[in-house]
Amino acid sequence: MKFSLKHAVIKYSDKIAINDVSLEANSGDMIFITGANGSGKSTLTKGIAGLLPLSSGTLERTQRMSYVPQIEEADKNFPAKVREIVITGRMRNGKLFYNNHDTEQANSAMKELGIYELADREIKTLSGGQLRRVFLARALCGEPELLLLDEPCAGLDAESHKILFEAINKVLSKGCAVLMVTHDNSDLDGIKAGRVITLSNGKIINERNS
Amino acid sequence: MSEILDLLTYPFVIRALIAGSLISICASILGVILVLKHYSLIGHGLSEIGFASLSISAALNISPELVSTPAVILASFVIMFVSQKYKTAGDIAIAVASSAALALGIIISSLSGNTSIMSSYLFGSVLAITQGDLIYSVVISLIVMASFVIFYNKFFLITYNEDYSRSLGINTTFYQLIISILTALIVVMGMRIMGTLLISGVIILPAVSAKVFASGFRSLVIISGVISLIAFVSGLILSFVFNLPAGAGVILANTIILIIMKVIAKK
Repeated sequence: MKFSLKHAVIKYSDKIAINDVSLEANSGDMIFITGANGSGKSTLTKGIAGLLPLSSGTLERTQRMSYVPQIEEADKNFPAKVREIVITGRMRNGKLFYNNHDTEQANSAMKELGIYELADREIKTLSGGQLRRVFLARALCGEPELLLLDEPCAGLDAESHKILFEAINKVLSKGCAVLMVTHDNSDLDGIKAGRVITLSNGKIINERNS
Repeated sequence: MSEILDLLTYPFVIRALIAGSLISICASILGVILVLKHYSLIGHGLSEIGFASLSISAALNISPELVSTPAVILASFVIMFVSQKYKTAGDIAIAVASSAALALGIIISSLSGNTSIMSSYLFGSVLAITQGDLIYSVVISLIVMASFVIFYNKFFLITYNEDYSRSLGINTTFYQLIISILTALIVVMGMRIMGTLLISGVIILPAVSAKVFASGFRSLVIISGVISLIAFVSGLILSFVFNLPAGAGVILANTIILIIMKVIAKK
C-alpha cells in the first residue's frame, strides 16, 4: 500500500473542501483525479501530500513520496538554477548534504526529461512547459514510491506531453503509484490505464476505469 | 593612501575592520534569505526592538547582551511567524512594534539620563569596539557562518518554497527558528557597530545589489557577501577621510554600489 485515505474531511476555516473521501493506491496504480474548478482536486492532493491537515479521517502513506505542485508566481522569480532545484528532490528531514549519488540521480532525471542542457539556466528564464519538466525531474530524482502530480500537463506543448507521459509510464512500470490531477480527458489516453475519480464539491461522485 | 595605511597601525581601527567585516558578511548572507522571503522590513523592526532593550539594560546597568539577545530572538520569531501567517498584517505589525519600541527606547534613555548611550546606539560606534566586543562578534560570526554552511540546503529549500519543503518531510518551523536566531544575533551585534537606524541597510542592500547580476542561489549568496565586504571597507575609509559616522559611510557605499549595478545592468 502506497497510501490509504479513509473518510477524510479537509476544511478551510469553516468551509468543507473535502468531504468524507476514501481512496487508496497500491504499487503501480494510476489514479486520475478529475472534476470542475473548485471541486477539491488540488486540496485532496495537498491533503495526501501532508500539506493540509485532516479535520477528521485517517491517512497512511509511504515516506518516499514526491509532490509536483502547480506552478506558482514565486517559482518564476526565484533566483535558482535548474540543477539547484532538481537535486532538492533528494532532500529529506535529517539529511544535510547531497552526495555523489544524489548528483547522479539529478543528472539522470534531467536527461530523462530532456532538460539536461538547461541545467545551468535560471528557472525564471524557462517557459511554463520547461518548468513543469523541471518539477517532474525533481520529483523523479527522489526515486518516489508515490508520485502526486497537480495538473502537470497544463500549458504543455506536444513534445513536452510525450516526454512527460513516457516518464510517468516508466515510473509506473517500476512499481511507483501515481495520482494525477487533470481537467483534460485527453491526458488519460497517453498514460497506462488506471482509475478515474471525479470530484464535485469535495465528494467523489464517480469512479471508473480509463 | 599612506594616511589610510597609517590608520592600520591603530588597534581600534583593526578591531573595527575585523568585527565590522565579519558582521557585514554575515548580515548580507542572511539578507539573501530575508529579501527572497519578502522579510526585508524585519531587520529594521528588530533593530528598533533591540534599541529599546539596550536602553532598558543601560538604565538598569546590566550587560546589554543579556537583555537584547533574548529579546530580539523572541521578537524575530514572533515577527517572522506573524508575517508568514498574516502577510500584509505582518508589515503593519512590524511598523507598529518598531515605532513603539523606538519611542520606548528614547523615553527610557531620556528618563535615565543615558542620552549619550542613546546616540551611540542609534548611529553606531564602530570605532569604540572593545576587545570584548571583538571577541563576541568573531564568535557570533563563526556561529552564523557555520550554521549557514551546515544548513545551506535546508535554508535554500525553505527560502524557495515552504510548502514543497514540508512535502519532503522537512521541519520548516525548526529552520525558521534557526534563521530567526541567527538574524537576531547579527542584528544585536550589528546595531552596536552600524547603529539601530542603519543595520537593516547592511542586511538588505548587498542582497538587492547582488540580485542584479547573480545567476543562481549560491552565486547570489557569494556575491552578496563580497559586495557587503567591499561596501564595509570602503564605507569605513569614507568615514575616516570625511570624518563621518561609520555606519552612514557603509550604507552610503552600499547605496552607491546598488546604483552602479543597476546602471550597468540597464546598459
